[in-house]
Amino acid sequence: MLEDKPTYERFPIRPGKTYGLMCVVPTATEATKIETEKQVHAWPAALTRELALFVLTLVILSVVALLFNAPLEEPASRLHPPNPAKAPWYFLGLQEMVAYSAFWGGIGIPGLLVLLALAAPYLERKPGGEGVWFHSSRSAANWVFLGIVGTLLVLTAIGTFFRGENWAFVVPW
Amino acid sequence: MSMDKVQIPWTDSDGKPGFWGALHSLPRRVYHSVFRSRPIPANDLERSQAVAANFFFHLHSAKVQERTLRFKTTLGLGLLSLYTFVILVVTGILLMFYYVPTPVEAYDRMLDLRGAVFFGTFLRNLHRWSAHAMVGLVFLHLMRVFLTGAHKAPREFNWMVGIVLFLLTLLLSFTGYLLPWDQLAFWAIVVGTSIASYAPVVGDELRYVLLGGDSVGAEALLRFYVLHVAVLPVVLTTLIGLHFWRIRKDGGLAKPREK
Ligand code: HEM
Repeated sequence: MLEDKPTYERFPIRPGKTYGLMCVVPTATEATKIETEKQVHAWPAALTRELALFVLTLVILSVVALLFNAPLEEPASRLHPPNPAKAPWYFLGLQEMVAYSAFWGGIGIPGLLVLLALAAPYLERKPGGEGVWFHSSRSAANWVFLGIVGTLLVLTAIGTFFRGENWAFVVPW
Repeated sequence: MSMDKVQIPWTDSDGKPGFWGALHSLPRRVYHSVFRSRPIPANDLERSQAVAANFFFHLHSAKVQERTLRFKTTLGLGLLSLYTFVILVVTGILLMFYYVPTPVEAYDRMLDLRGAVFFGTFLRNLHRWSAHAMVGLVFLHLMRVFLTGAHKAPREFNWMVGIVLFLLTLLLSFTGYLLPWDQLAFWAIVVGTSIASYAPVVGDELRYVLLGGDSVGAEALLRFYVLHVAVLPVVLTTLIGLHFWRIRKDGGLAKPREK
């Protein structure tokens, strides 16, 4: 039988180091402020779940890759512009807005949205509702957020499905 | 059971290991020089060490809140974002063995992938669909974080890192979109980059730098390629590292306050 313990020290103790990290600062860190709630060992509880999720992801994407082929059109040609020419789907919301105003649709509004997103946690200062889905104390913030996301989704859907030649409104069915 | 009472196999009469004993213990020595813990930890201390002493595992603390493992907490979306990215890196590197970023070659290489390369179609499909999936999953993860209030103090910084990750994900996808050099790719990038030229004052210059010229051509393809296979993946990988490190420094995932 293979003895599964090494004969030497697993974690050599370095004589030069006389402190643990927790000893060098006088205050509590973010992490240590946490009151204990039910904890489990990362190995195996978390890591096996994570592995399972990875396998699942790989399997699902592989099945999709086996069933559906990535598009490949004619070779690129400067002489044959398609009508309409469309950006990748995740930019079609922008392209839709650009149809109304080049600057505001393509630069102004997207730029403001990015700034708003970066600033969000500083604007929403009142603590509470962390780690809870749709906490009632945060309903205003959530509605604003969902309103913006919903608008972007609608614009993206219009750009993707409802725009034909010369960006005219078409009905896909 | 004390060690010295046990007759250790492969020892000579004085209990010294000898040649065969040393040979016998070699696999164990090699194993323990690489891994500082046993494959199946026997007690809590060893379970903790299994995590703390493993370069990859130690992204986790030894123990995690049970609540954060429940599917409902995260919907798995952060991990799904990571996993699609990992699949993209692996399939992307394999695709790099075949791809040539020039207008003359690029499209032919797409046809080769389809016709001549073993599993080429599958490889390209997997890369393409994973890329679309990643854009969607990262955005859904962003929504999850906001709707659970996990962007608020003390996680403001990690939220901002996340916003940058999202923008980089879009850029990665966009730069990759050009590479097949077909009609779909070409005109999508013509349209996409024209948006850059609407920026005030520097708009046209911005587009010129992005494309390496006034129009989408060989220079643009090379620039997009370098951004797509080198610059953006390295930056994204680094920021994902920062993102994960911050999750721990911010005290793990956001948790509900005491009622
Ligand atoms: C490449 C993209 C990204 C990857 C790989 C990634 C990965 C992760 C992972 C694995 C977690 C752990 C919890 C979970 O799985 O949900 C997490 C948490 C978090 N992520 Fe991301 N993320 C990405 C993008 C983003 C974006 C776009 C945002 C928001 C703008 C964001 C903000 C956060 C925050 C604030 C947390 C902490 C959540 C909490 O405390 O509950 N991340 N991320």
